[in-house]
Amino acid sequence: MARVLVVDDAAFMRKVLTDALTAGGHEVVGEAGDGDAALAAYQDLQPDLVTLDITMPQKDGLATLRELVEIDPAARVVICSALGQETKVLDAIKAGAKDFVVKPFERDRLLGAVEKAVA
Amino acid sequence: MSPADPASTTDALMRLGASTAEAVAKALDAICPEPVERGDVTVVPGEESPFEGFDGPAVTVSVAYVDGVTGGNVLLMTPRGARLIAAAMGDRVGGLDEADDGEEPTELELSAVAEAANQMFAAAASATGVVLGQNVEIAPPDTRLLAAAATDAREAFDATPHAVSATFRACGEPCRLVQLVPNAFVVRMTRALGEQGTEQLSGDASLAALGIAHRSEPGEERRLDDALRDIRVRVWAELGRTHVSLGEAPELPAGAVLELDRKADDPVDLYVNGLRFASGRVVLTEEGEWALRLEEVAGRTARSAGAGLDSDKEGAVI
Repeated sequence: MARVLVVDDAAFMRKVLTDALTAGGHEVVGEAGDGDAALAAYQDLQPDLVTLDITMPQKDGLATLRELVEIDPAARVVICSALGQETKVLDAIKAGAKDFVVKPFERDRLLGAVEKAVA
Repeated sequence: MSPADPASTTDALMRLGASTAEAVAKALDAICPEPVERGDVTVVPGEESPFEGFDGPAVTVSVAYVDGVTGGNVLLMTPRGARLIAAAMGDRVGGLDEADDGEEPTELELSAVAEAANQMFAAAASATGVVLGQNVEIAPPDTRLLAAAATDAREAFDATPHAVSATFRACGEPCRLVQLVPNAFVVRMTRALGEQGTEQLSGDASLAALGIAHRSEPGEERRLDDALRDIRVRVWAELGRTHVSLGEAPELPAGAVLELDRKADDPVDLYVNGLRFASGRVVLTEEGEWALRLEEVAGRTARSAGAGLDSDKEGAVI
């Protein structure tokens, strides 16, 4: 069981991710709708893992990831991308993301990525 | 006045419109329980509003490009259509648990529609990026509920010199994609298509396959044909291929050996702007440069050279 911070600007996706993670036995300890809120919540909540959307207003997922890794080089992040954002996914993996899922994703794929990242 | 000539501008707009519309339709196909009905893709005449005719209230989701190119896309749907798309998005993940029976979508439903648009336009931007030869990034979607779509949308979204409209029927409701296209975008698109001359020909074929008519002006077809003959195309030889996963690629260390799908004595393929066109053997020229001796060109081998292929081209070394 992992303590997870869910970061996505879409309330719908936060609900989808929270429902899936909870059903998989994980605890969603917080949600954030943008990069700055995510960085603040990370330092406050110290989660085991972050699910991070790529396309967000102001500070996108990649910029957020880079700052997050500066704060905590051991941060475990799973990227949530849309089809067609493969270049961003590669950049995110180079920047330290542990894994990625492509939306729309199957619940098992998400849970598999989370479990692999926290193993 | 548009900086590009009218024929190539129309072609660039149709190519952009068709590729974006197809990416959006495919994404909607994956969401909606029934196949999405594809309608017309049209270049909207400059004096007309691309929102004209979408009467009554509408939910709009606009997505701007933020990197690579300027411009934007607006997806219009009826409020009922938005609720159905949101419900279909929710059904894929066990339902939205929304008890609201009203006509207007709830905040969570609008968020689901915005997420659907995000997935559609990320795929569409990727398709546009392939044509332009560079990455095209999108901004987060902006969702609005308009009381009178045709007039309110004209005020809500800045007019651009060009616009392309594509119609669909998704979840049984009418849906319209409007692409707002600045001049700079058309110039870049026209240039990219010019650099990919033979791909433009195959692109026109793909438009026909999609049932999208290219409404040419009289004489335009001939001018395009003449122009295409002068376009320089990229030619390259390919030794072989292999696949690795996106996760594996960045992990490959320098010094890693990747096995390709060709044996050492297999012929090498020649590509012209991405289309496999010929094959041959790698040879070394007297100047010490690699070259390719062609053995088969466009399906015709050296032995069948007399059947129409210029014999002086057969066995050519490039």
